[in-house]
This record gives sequence, structure tokens and C-alpha cells, in this order.
Amino acid sequence: MVSVKKKKTKWVIVILLSLVVVSITISVIIVSQKKLPTEDLRIAREALSEAKEAEANLYAEKLYKESVQMYDSAMINWSRENERFILFRSYDKVINFARKSKKIADEAKDESIKKADNLSKNVEAAFVSLTKKIELYNKLFKDLPLSKSVFDAHNKSKMFLSESKIAHETGKLKDAEVLFKKADIYINHANTAASKMLRDYFSDYPKWKSQANDAIAASRSGNKVILVDKVAHKLYVYQSGKSIRSYDAEFGPNWMAHKERNGDKATPEGHYRITKKKERGNTIYHKALLLDYPNDEDRRQFAIKKQKGLLSRSAGIGNLIEIHGNGGKGFNWTSGCVGLRDRDIDDLYRLVSAGTRVTIVGSIEPLSVITAGLDF
Amino acid sequence: MKSKLVIAIAAMGIAVLFSSCAKVPQAEIDAATASIQEVKDAGADLYVPEAYQALVDSMKSANEKVEVAKAKWFPNYTKAKDLLAVVSQMAVDTKAKSEARKVELKAEVEAMIVEVKALVEENKGLIAKAPKGKEGREALEAIKSDVAVAETTVTEVEALLANGDLIGSNDKIKAAKEKATAIKAELEEAIAKKGGK
Repeated sequence: MVSVKKKKTKWVIVILLSLVVVSITISVIIVSQKKLPTEDLRIAREALSEAKEAEANLYAEKLYKESVQMYDSAMINWSRENERFILFRSYDKVINFARKSKKIADEAKDESIKKADNLSKNVEAAFVSLTKKIELYNKLFKDLPLSKSVFDAHNKSKMFLSESKIAHETGKLKDAEVLFKKADIYINHANTAASKMLRDYFSDYPKWKSQANDAIAASRSGNKVILVDKVAHKLYVYQSGKSIRSYDAEFGPNWMAHKERNGDKATPEGHYRITKKKERGNTIYHKALLLDYPNDEDRRQFAIKKQKGLLSRSAGIGNLIEIHGNGGKGFNWTSGCVGLRDRDIDDLYRLVSAGTRVTIVGSIEPLSVITAGLDF
Repeated sequence: MKSKLVIAIAAMGIAVLFSSCAKVPQAEIDAATASIQEVKDAGADLYVPEAYQALVDSMKSANEKVEVAKAKWFPNYTKAKDLLAVVSQMAVDTKAKSEARKVELKAEVEAMIVEVKALVEENKGLIAKAPKGKEGREALEAIKSDVAVAETTVTEVEALLANGDLIGSNDKIKAAKEKATAIKAELEEAIAKKGGK
């Protein structure tokens, strides 16, 4: 009886143990069949790393962030699944998040490369455009009597352009973009102000053209006529309707204005005559040709402006406007006179005499000719 | 009786073995995470971006290793712990590299400030010697303004440096140096021409 009972117990134990072994085997098989997301997460991580290397965090920020979020979600879900009983774990969601993260990271990388490339091209194009604007200033506006703020704006734009180029060279395209935009603001400010000044000045061009034509016509009789072009900084001698001489000329610092009063450093515009030739010893400027400024028209205009209160009561009309030597300084330095190099005044002095007509105009050429070939 | 004792000892041994390996190395994870934050706070992502990125990637890899271990019947965190130790060491190294780069950059910027200041002074001296004749004075007026801009930039760089913006100050002072050097070359050329005449 005891033997039968023992046998029965033995059998129960064998069956139970077999059941345990079978269930463990089945569990192991189930678990081993489950795919771990290890490889997918490694791939996603590497894709993210590559996207970061391509600066997707800067140039494809939204996609990059999304990809990071997907990777983080994958990790959170993986951790959560691992908290569950081993047989109930499912990594499908984790794998899904990891694959999405990889896909978006790849997209972010591609977009970043594309955007960075475009930005680089844009920045390079902006450099060309800015350089042109700076060149325009140097060619057309540099000699204008501009205010300090305009001058400073031009120089600041050059500095920002340099900074932008350094940022571009070091691959900091966003910084380069910010800096060239600053440079652009400054150069636009300088060029706009200078353009306005030039355009306003040229509103008198029809009058200048007529005066220049009159002067050239007056030379057709064989008389020598001096024609001064302030914008070109040139003094021409005309005879028989043709230019027989031309010299570089310098004026007062406020040369882009018609002289109105004493001390305004402006060079007068209009028809004048030489009233006196001053040899060396009679002038501190090597040689000089005194003009009849102020003429009747100057006096009339002066009186009108004074009457209108446009000039102070104490203002004088000024005088002693000459064509003289000591020039060739490369800047507008006179008190309103026309400055020539000594060798040029020597030559001119021999050519002309008292009574010679002198016509001073803003420009002989229209603005369109002066700005030809420039992006004005 | 003897066999029962053996079974009990074996069971206890297995239990001890598994329990000793089964704990997530949370302390190591927390320490590594904190050290990475410390490295970031030290500006490593700006000053040594490649090293910082490698550090972040290694931490991610370590986290993955923790989860791989957790996913097993009998978790073993030895590999994850080893990697976390590597990450912690990397963090220390990266922080040191970042600090060294900052010191180096600061020294570079300070040296360039001195250089640019000297160039500005030199340029002022050259302006006084430069020819006032043709292509002279008007160009000099422009150069004077350029020198002033370079001088202002130095002041801006000093302010940036005081605020700890080493990268911004480095780029700015480089531009100022470029400008001041170009001005010097321009002035020296003009003076040389004058001497040749």
C-alpha cells in the first residue's frame, strides 16, 4: 500500500516537473522568438548622430527635433516594456518609434544639407551683391560731401561684410547670414542717402546743360572758354567748340552746392569771367585767376534768400573765388575756389587772359551717363 | 536529508547570483547623466562640439545596453556598467578639453585684441606720415573712418569677452584684425610710393 502511494507521488512529481520543464521551454522559445529593438535603436542613434553632424539641429530644426523625440519615445517604451513580465513584453512600438526616428533623421540630414547648401549659395550671392554696393559707393559716392553718419554706415557695412565672410569660411552660415543682413542694412542706408543727394543735385542738370552748351557755343568764335565740371572734378578749356585742354580740379568740401554766402565752402555755379591774373608772389596758391564772383545773378539770389530768411542777417555773400594752384591733393580742400596742380595752373595761366569766360556747372553729363554700368 | 540540504544551498546560490546581477545600475546612470549636464553647462557643445557629440552618443549607447540587459531572463548589467564608467570618464575628459579650449580661445582673443590695438595705433601714426597729395587726403579721410570702425570693434570685442562670449569675440576680432592689417598695408604702400617719388 505504501509502495503504491510512493509510486503515485513519484509520478505526480515527474509530471509536474515535466510540466515545468515544458512551460519553461515554451517560455524560452517565446522570448527567444521576440525580436529585440537593439539593432533598430542603434541604427536610429547613428542616423541621429549623422543628422547632427550635418547640422540638422540648425538647418532642419523641426525634423531633427521630431527625430530626437521619436528616439526618446522608443527608449521610454523599451524601458516600460522591460518592466512588464517577460512573456507579456512587446517591442513592436519600440521598433516602430526607432524606425520612424531613423527615417526622420535621414530626412532631416538631407534637408539640412540642402538648406545649408542653399544658404551658402545665398550668402555667397549676398557677398557679390554687397561688394557691388560697396563698389558703387566707392566709385560714385565716395567724393560726395556726405554726412558722417553716411560715411560711418558705409564703413560699418564693410566691417560686417568682413565678419560675415569669416563666419562663412568657418561654416557658420547662420551667423554669416545675420552679419551680411546687418552689412546690407548699413550699406543700403549709406547708398540710399548718397543716391538721394546725387539725384537731388542732378535736378539742376537741364540748367547745367544749357549753361555748358552756351559756353561751348561761345568758344566757337575762337575765344577760349573755361568749362568746369564739378562732378567729374575736371576743368576744360574750349576753343572753336572743341576741348583743347582738361585738368583735374578740386573744390571746397561743400562742393555739391552753389555758393550762397561767405564761408559755406561751396564752389559757385554759373557764368563768370576772369577779372585778374595773379602771378607768383601775388597769391599764396602758386598762380591764380580771380573770378567775378559774386556776379549780378549771385547778388540777386543772395538778396532774395536773405529776404526770405534763408540766410542769416549777418551772412556775407563772399568773394575772392579763384582758379588757383596748390592742388593735386586728391580731396576737396579749397574754400570754394577751383584748385589745380601747379603745372596745370601754369599751363592754363598761359592760355587765358582777363575777361576769359568761366562757366562752372554741376555736371556736363547727365546722371544716366555717370551711373552707366553701375547698379544705381 | 543530505540531498534536501544540497538543493536548498543550490537554490540560495542561484537566488544570490541572479539578485546580484539584476539591479539596474541607476547610480551609475544618474552619475553619467549629471556629468554630461555638467559638461554641457561648461559649454563643451560650443567649444568642443565633436567630443561633446561623441559623449552624448556614448550615453545613448549605454542606455541602450541597460535596456538590452533588462530585456533578458537573467539581466547582467556588467557591459552597461563598463560603458557608463567609460562615459563618466569621457565626460571628465571632455570637460577638461572644453575648459582648455576656452582658455586657449580667450588667450587667442586677448592676444589679438592687443595686436589690433597696436595696429590701430600704428595706423594712426602712419596716417600722420601718409602723403596728403594726389590719392592722399581724401583716401586718408576714409581710412581714418575705417580705423575708427576697427577701434570700435575692439571695444565691442572686449565687451563680448567680458560676457564670456569667446566664439563671438573671436570672430569679431579676426575681422577687426583683417581690417587693421589691410589699412596698414594700404598706408605703407602709399608711404612707400611717396618715398619713391
